Amino acid sequence: MKKLLAVCAGVGLVFVFVWERVDMVRLGYHIERLKHEKVLLERERDELRVKVATLSAPDRIAKVATDKFGMSLPQPGQVVVVQSGPAEWPGASRQASEVRLAKVEMPSGRP
Amino acid sequence: MAGSPSRTRRFVLLLVLLCGFGVVLFRLVSLQVLQAAELTVKADRQHQKTVALEGARGTIVDRHGKVLAMNMDVPSVFGVPTALESPAQTARTLSPVLHVRASELEKKLRQDRSFVWLARKLDPEQGHQLEQMPMEGIGTVLEGRRFYPKGPLLAHVLGFAGLDGAGLEGLERRYESHLHGEKRVAVLQRDALGRIVFPKDEAAQNPASGHSLTLTIDEVIQYIAEKELEEAMNKTRAKAGTVIVLDPQTGALLALAISPRFDPNSVAALTPGRWRNRALTDAYEPGSTMKAIVAAAALEEQVMKPGTMVFGENGRMTIANTVIHDHEKLGWVTFAQVIQKSSNIGAAKTGMALGEQRLYRYLRAFGFGQRTEIDLPGEAVGLLRDPKGWGRRSLASISMGQEVGVTPMQMVSAISVLANGGMLMKPYVVSEVRDAQGQLLKQIEPEMKRRVISPETARAVTSILEGVVTDGTGTKAAIPGFRVAGKTGTAQKIDPRTGAYSSTQFVGSFVGFVPADNPRLAMIVVIDEPQGESFGGLVAAPVFRRVGEQVLNYLGVSSNEPVKLAMATGHR
Repeated sequence: MKKLLAVCAGVGLVFVFVWERVDMVRLGYHIERLKHEKVLLERERDELRVKVATLSAPDRIAKVATDKFGMSLPQPGQVVVVQSGPAEWPGASRQASEVRLAKVEMPSGRP
Repeated sequence: MAGSPSRTRRFVLLLVLLCGFGVVLFRLVSLQVLQAAELTVKADRQHQKTVALEGARGTIVDRHGKVLAMNMDVPSVFGVPTALESPAQTARTLSPVLHVRASELEKKLRQDRSFVWLARKLDPEQGHQLEQMPMEGIGTVLEGRRFYPKGPLLAHVLGFAGLDGAGLEGLERRYESHLHGEKRVAVLQRDALGRIVFPKDEAAQNPASGHSLTLTIDEVIQYIAEKELEEAMNKTRAKAGTVIVLDPQTGALLALAISPRFDPNSVAALTPGRWRNRALTDAYEPGSTMKAIVAAAALEEQVMKPGTMVFGENGRMTIANTVIHDHEKLGWVTFAQVIQKSSNIGAAKTGMALGEQRLYRYLRAFGFGQRTEIDLPGEAVGLLRDPKGWGRRSLASISMGQEVGVTPMQMVSAISVLANGGMLMKPYVVSEVRDAQGQLLKQIEPEMKRRVISPETARAVTSILEGVVTDGTGTKAAIPGFRVAGKTGTAQKIDPRTGAYSSTQFVGSFVGFVPADNPRLAMIVVIDEPQGESFGGLVAAPVFRRVGEQVLNYLGVSSNEPVKLAMATGHR
């Protein structure tokens, strides 16, 4: 009986060892698959970063702004800095503030 | 007496078994002992894969974190000619995707080799197309490719990296030790199908990416500088041009534009002259812009005061048998007017009042004849000879900006001394170095090299240079609403054929700063060999104005002419 138990224990140990090795290989494959997925996602992220950087290039933005939306750079005098005096306004902030305004001068013939 | 048959059989069986075990034992010893070394190598070769891993090259961003250069893994395509059934058919299929002629591909695929590159570092779009059409005998591997998403923007500063990923020019070269990724060899276990099973050691962990650089450059200011320079180049049909914008208080480089431009994404067909950073490598005779520096030296040494009267010799003076002319016949004028009207004779007299040693000492103190030590490669020292080597005319010539060679970077650094109250700052372009996880490794702080002149002298010269823009030769640099200080320069180039000053080739320049009362920008504009008009006041000063007004607006710098807004308070 003792011998049988010893044999069973031995066989069991062998099974545990083999199972552990097989599981290691299975996990190895799983890790590799996840790594591959990670690489693909990183590639996609990098592609998107390059695309964002390319699309946000100042010359492209300027071209779209002027060609597509009819925008133009403010001419000298169109941007004015307004310094508001706190003393004149009761209850206003004690700190002087600056407000940047663009003087909108619509070309004639446009609403 | 013969033994019993069963005993004989047992003996034979034992013998056979012994022989069998003997053979097995012999084979075991042969495999495990005699051939152990050779077979271990063979086995390792079959179930281990050694791969060279390299971390991605670091990213370069501007001061607001906008990406200027970054790495991306892209596919490179290879073929296995020995495994192909129809090289011609494969070549025809690949040709439109790889943008390579089919005949060229077929030639490669017909080679008697087991591996041949068909195309390296493709665009991501091409990679996606290839993934849709797997072919026998054709494979891809991922390689890091450097992308410059803004194209030619800042190309001369960024430089570029080669096919092997090493930095070859500009910041890519200067900061190679920081930017390149970690290189590591890893041993991986693979199965019978060649799949990776499990890393054998820690080395298989991804190697660290290179460090990223944060620049002092602002991509919007850079864009404005490049756009306006290109416009000036088209207008003047000049050979080359440079615009540098510095923060005069710190020496931080805000923009550096060079024309002609180039795209660092495709440099293979270009000559080195195209990507040379002329702002650092090309020394030129500064001409009258040097008078601003000479004036500062004269005021600091108190050999002149802004109101000192100087006789203009009616536009003609002989020094060492050479006649010096002024473009305007001047009589008695103040020293301030000498600078504002850019009088050569007045400048020569100022230089003579200073003397050789003092003039040389101040020019060195302002940084001429030595590198600015900006963190970019290839900087020239310029030309400033020791007074021992000066001729009889040299003192006058150098005071007018001749017989001396400066780089645009040296000149804008020198003018920054006047803008910041007298200190020579070391210009710099990289402000931070961070590791792949974003941890700050190194922060570069502004560095003062030395005090050159007193704040009082700097203010006095600034006042004189404001006059250059309001009443002198630099009126086209004036920016409405802002006080601008600067100096024009028009220098004849030396004709390489005759060795004498050319009457047709000039360098027109303008160097200055704005707002003069609280300088935010120091800027130089150099236009090399403009066609037609060549005066610095006509070709370079307008570029200064256009760049200056847009950048000040972008930075939100208040003009000197605030408008009081009438507002209803809402109080009853």
